[in-house]
Amino acid sequence: MAAGVAAWLPFARAAAIGWMPVATAPMPVPPQEKRRGKDGLIVLNVSGTKFQTWRDTLERYPDTLLGSTERDFFFHEDSNEYFFDRDPDIFRHILNFYRTGKLHYPRQECISAYDEELSFFGIIPEIIGDCCYEEYKDRRRENQERIQDDEEADPGSELVSPDLSFRESMWRAFENPHTSTMALVFYYVTGFFIAVSVLANVAETVPCGAAPNRAKEMSCGERYALAFFCLDTACVMIFTVEYLLRLLAAPSRYRFVKSVMSIIDVVAIMPYYIGLVMTDNEDVSGAFVTLRVFRVFRIFKFSRHSAGLRILGYTLKSCASELGFLLFSLTMAIIIFATVMFYAEKGSSASKFTSIPAAFWYTIVTMTTLGYGDMVPKTIMGKIFGSICSLSGVLVIALPVPVIVSNFSRIYHQSQRAEKRRAQKKTRLARIHAVKSGGANAYLQYKRSRLLIGPDQEVTVETLMFLWVLHVFVLLAELRPNSLLHAEDWLKPPHNHEFLDEKTFETNLREVTLVKQVSRSSSISSASSPHGFTSCCSRRKRKTFNVPNSNMSVGLQDSIQELSTIQIRERPLTNSRSSLNAKFEETVPLNCEQPYITAAVISMPTPPGTTPEGDDSASSTDYSQANIVRVSAL
Amino acid sequence: QLAVKSNISLQQKQHLVEDELELSAVRHRPEGLEQLEAQTRFSRKELQILYRGFKNECPSGVVNEETFKDIYSQFFPQGDASTYAHFLFNAFDTDHNGSVSFEDFVMGLSILLRGTVQEKLNWAFNLYDINKDGYITKEEMLDIMKAIYDMMGKCTYPVLKEETPRQHVEVFFQKMDKNKDGVVTIDEFIDCCQNDENIMRSMHLFENVL
Repeated sequence: MAAGVAAWLPFARAAAIGWMPVATAPMPVPPQEKRRGKDGLIVLNVSGTKFQTWRDTLERYPDTLLGSTERDFFFHEDSNEYFFDRDPDIFRHILNFYRTGKLHYPRQECISAYDEELSFFGIIPEIIGDCCYEEYKDRRRENQERIQDDEEADPGSELVSPDLSFRESMWRAFENPHTSTMALVFYYVTGFFIAVSVLANVAETVPCGAAPNRAKEMSCGERYALAFFCLDTACVMIFTVEYLLRLLAAPSRYRFVKSVMSIIDVVAIMPYYIGLVMTDNEDVSGAFVTLRVFRVFRIFKFSRHSAGLRILGYTLKSCASELGFLLFSLTMAIIIFATVMFYAEKGSSASKFTSIPAAFWYTIVTMTTLGYGDMVPKTIMGKIFGSICSLSGVLVIALPVPVIVSNFSRIYHQSQRAEKRRAQKKTRLARIHAVKSGGANAYLQYKRSRLLIGPDQEVTVETLMFLWVLHVFVLLAELRPNSLLHAEDWLKPPHNHEFLDEKTFETNLREVTLVKQVSRSSSISSASSPHGFTSCCSRRKRKTFNVPNSNMSVGLQDSIQELSTIQIRERPLTNSRSSLNAKFEETVPLNCEQPYITAAVISMPTPPGTTPEGDDSASSTDYSQANIVRVSAL
Repeated sequence: QLAVKSNISLQQKQHLVEDELELSAVRHRPEGLEQLEAQTRFSRKELQILYRGFKNECPSGVVNEETFKDIYSQFFPQGDASTYAHFLFNAFDTDHNGSVSFEDFVMGLSILLRGTVQEKLNWAFNLYDINKDGYITKEEMLDIMKAIYDMMGKCTYPVLKEETPRQHVEVFFQKMDKNKDGVVTIDEFIDCCQNDENIMRSMHLFENVL
């Protein structure tokens, strides 16, 4: 019974007079309600905000906190009111529930905070009104997913507990390559061999020219059969070992064997073993060739390495109904149009539309707007229906596709958000730790040291490919001595998120210095370089910093502060850019780690100490010192 | 241009009229508390409580038949209370304008809960007399009986048969219709009820309802 209607109870009872005279038996006595207290105002003080309502309003729902005697626990004698130390904004909605009988969910509130308040006041969320229920459920589902994601991610970012058995640690290494260097090596090695295997499969079909003792042109696979066989064997060895290791390490072997990835692994290596077992018989060689096709499934092994591929697979799986619908509607349309075209073209002589199944090919090619042109209608009716066919094809295909696309987008963004959350969580925890341990000072230093570094991103197959292309490009550029390549383009990269891996970072910097050497006439903008350089090395500096040649004290905090002050100081001093360029040549040995020293040596043709021209000594010392600092900032 | 203007103004007027009708329904306010206190037998506090409940369920200030049926059905979910609610509505709606205002409501309640036995019986007679002609015919009684049985639904013991309302009406008429003219007048009704102990006892039960 709705709350408001309860107020009409006297009326309902009074209306009983209607059947009273016709009743043959005396009326039963109405249940005597327990004598309620005088209906008065109740003051509810929620964290300072005072709410007032009638006592009866609250007692409409006796199974909640406010409606039952449980509220007496919160009675505050001094002020003669009920005090609750909870959120007043959310309490407003709860009180409205008592007044109107409908619980609303405010969109701007956090779902978990709202849930907590509801459970505190003893109200079940199921009574949320229809107007807000859908929104509530959606938000709740999102929250659950987020919690699940975090739980799944946690094992990866946990500290290694020493009491993990060898099997468990191996499994962790397989599932999360970032945990140890061995795992990372294994990850990259398998990735490399997958690529090699796939490339070999592709290359062995390329025609290689005729062998000396044969007239016919052969494919590379036939010509260098032994080499390809050895390569294939090596790859299959690695894959087999990997599969067996995974099988060994899996916590639930049965579940592992059932999983998609393991099936792909098996399908990838089986053809080889079957080929070994089978004899070189004429009958079975046809089957053998078919088996070779399965070798291409090795490329699916990349999905362990690429999250994007996994997402694509997951999307297709979750869009199964849309894909099914697409297939079904296409099949219907194909059959209809093939039939129509067949009968339309029946009259025409030498028509290619020999049967309805033959017309299927035409219909498919037309509906997907391919239009190969091998089958073309010749009659007028045929042409008319052909054009209707192509128009409808566009429509039928275009309809389910956006659904699939939006599904993919949703899942992709979800995984991106999960990644971002994980990264944010890491940085947040680190910051909180910094604040808690060192106070504000440590926090500020931490912030400065991570000035221009963006959020962490994992090194994926895609980023590796990008880096590889980048290296090739740089090498090509380097080979041309007179290139007008501007170094500032290369000085900007430290803003990038990709260069977190030590190896790649280092190689990138080496190239930067190489490029610098090459382009002497480049206009290194003074504005950009300090930024770039500081950020380049500031990250390195988190580990070690040593400036023996300067009078600056050793120590992380001071050096960074000095750096920043020097930065500020040197900007007004810059006169000419060319002089700056010259200074770069007279650099002192770098004080950063080993690789940087070698790089600096390369870029330093003239010994230090040559007096600069056109500057007075005071500023020159400043400059040199500044330069020391700046370059050492490398 | 003038024609357009007049057209628009005509439409506006129409809308205004419709709005006014709605607004007038929305803006209905009961007479002052003192007046109602004088007219009914409720105390000030009781009127306040009644009005708050009334206004909560019907913010517009009047109840139309649909809402009335709705509210009443919530009290009797096991059967179909709409027919009985219809008769009740007509009984409450003393000025027969299709809506029950707070005054009608409160006055009806005042009679039912605080009135004399005579007044209550009068009210009951009014309820049974569907066409308000002063006589209860067998057909009217049958309608009422059917409505009551519908409202009770399947939750009766023993289970009712089809002819039970008719039989019940027969019994009633035999009891009430003294001069056997086929109709029951108000005097016959009041007379008969006052002589029936069961009915008298039941009447007294209403006093503690509010």
